[in-house]
Amino acid sequence: MLSDKLRIAVVTTFPPGTGSLNEYGFHFVNALRQKFDDVSEVLLYVDALPDGEAYPPFEPDSGIPTTIIPCWEFDALNNATRILKTARQTKPDMVLFNLQFATFGGKKISASLGLLTPALLQMWNIPTVVLLHNIMETVDLKSAGYAGNGIVERVLRCFGYIATKLLLRAELVALTIPKYVEILESKYKADNIVLAPHGSFDDTVHQPVFELPEGPMQIMTFGKFGTYKTVEPLIEAFEKLQRRPNADLELVIAGSDSPNAKGYLAGVAEQYKHVSNIRFTGYVAEEDVPIIFGEAAAVVFPYTSTTGSSGVLHQAGDYGKAVILPNIGDFAEVITEEGYTGEFFEPEDVDSLATAIANVIDNPDHRRAIGQQNFLASHGIPIAEIVDWYLLHMQTLLMQKPNRNGPPTVDRTQLA
Amino acid sequence: MQLSEKELGGVHILLIEGRFDAHTSTPATEWLEEKSASTGARIVINFSKTEFIDSVALASLVSAMKRCRQTDGDVVLCELSKPVKIIFELTRLNRAFQIYETEVDAMVGYGI
Repeated sequence: MLSDKLRIAVVTTFPPGTGSLNEYGFHFVNALRQKFDDVSEVLLYVDALPDGEAYPPFEPDSGIPTTIIPCWEFDALNNATRILKTARQTKPDMVLFNLQFATFGGKKISASLGLLTPALLQMWNIPTVVLLHNIMETVDLKSAGYAGNGIVERVLRCFGYIATKLLLRAELVALTIPKYVEILESKYKADNIVLAPHGSFDDTVHQPVFELPEGPMQIMTFGKFGTYKTVEPLIEAFEKLQRRPNADLELVIAGSDSPNAKGYLAGVAEQYKHVSNIRFTGYVAEEDVPIIFGEAAAVVFPYTSTTGSSGVLHQAGDYGKAVILPNIGDFAEVITEEGYTGEFFEPEDVDSLATAIANVIDNPDHRRAIGQQNFLASHGIPIAEIVDWYLLHMQTLLMQKPNRNGPPTVDRTQLA
Repeated sequence: MQLSEKELGGVHILLIEGRFDAHTSTPATEWLEEKSASTGARIVINFSKTEFIDSVALASLVSAMKRCRQTDGDVVLCELSKPVKIIFELTRLNRAFQIYETEVDAMVGYGI
């Protein structure tokens, strides 16, 4: 058997940090902390909170001992060396990265330098697994706010290619969508790519509640806004819907600015202050997420492009919600592959969006049917079981390579 | 999906015919849960007639394999049809499971 249970470090954003993928990081780490048979300690390499704020410690009896180590900062240029230093000091058996391309920075240089980290750790013989939520090949860089013109886009694609090559220096790169695996395998000729489903956040299977609360019917959108998630067309569609007779609606814009678009939502609120019944919630704390989703009649994805499978879609599915989705080739394909469905609209087309929302909120049976299918899709595999897959991969990898502190003692029957 | 089960020398063998996915997996998952609950359970899954497998089905296999290995048992696979083989390779779970060409090889692997 592996002579010891694993000490696993996870490089991730984590609540109350508000960086992208913090929700995924939260659920993944919470599931990992319950793997008492396989894991002895979890080290969280998280980004430092603003103003020196401290992460709340985990309750002692809530799972495997977990140490929170804020060792990198969004947009800092030296994140790779800081994480390397932390890893060399704390000596985990494996480092797992919960990543997308802008995890380490909203600026091109900081984001790119951060992506060097897995390769750097590998050079120091620290095994790494990368969970990559998006791939550069399917991101619309212009819509995502990273490329203003064609030349910049070409340069970024080139950097993206190099960054992907470097990420592929990890022992294993996990992707959540079969199509992404095919793209990377064929383009980069890589043989260390693995498909690992996203997983359901809510591991307590419960029947969703389709009845809505008293009061105005809530149309909700959730996320970090300002780059490829823009709410202007949604607000204008909402205005149209409000003009209908007997409309009793509320638009809930739940979430905060994208790190790449600071001040975006404040600007929108000012621009549309004449529109009634809009509620900007700001950052939604973990405990408020069930309320926000539970009260919504429909969840709208006002995206102009996508960067991969949507964590928000999985959450909407967890709560059995009908969703209104942009008709973007990649996104539609991805969600269909995952078993989800929804009402589709043409991106940035206000009339199309208003019609799609109306189709859902005017037809309770249709709303319920979409919600039910999404509920079933999201409850396919709890994230706790996906964590098992990662642990299996890690154990297999460690079996195959000499240990930094001496060879592992391996008994295959204990690889569980 | 159709299941055919047998037992040889204390090894539980399950042949899965048709689709093994989120919509059809319950009987096979329940069978796996029942058999893997025994201490040291030894299980062979024969995929020669399986047309399709999805991640939900894979998850139930992983769970059963983990349970078995915790008590020195195992879940091994054999005669993977082409669609099944592709999914195992895509998820790299082919490296976590013992996979045999034939059911006989799987039994030999268990020392039967």
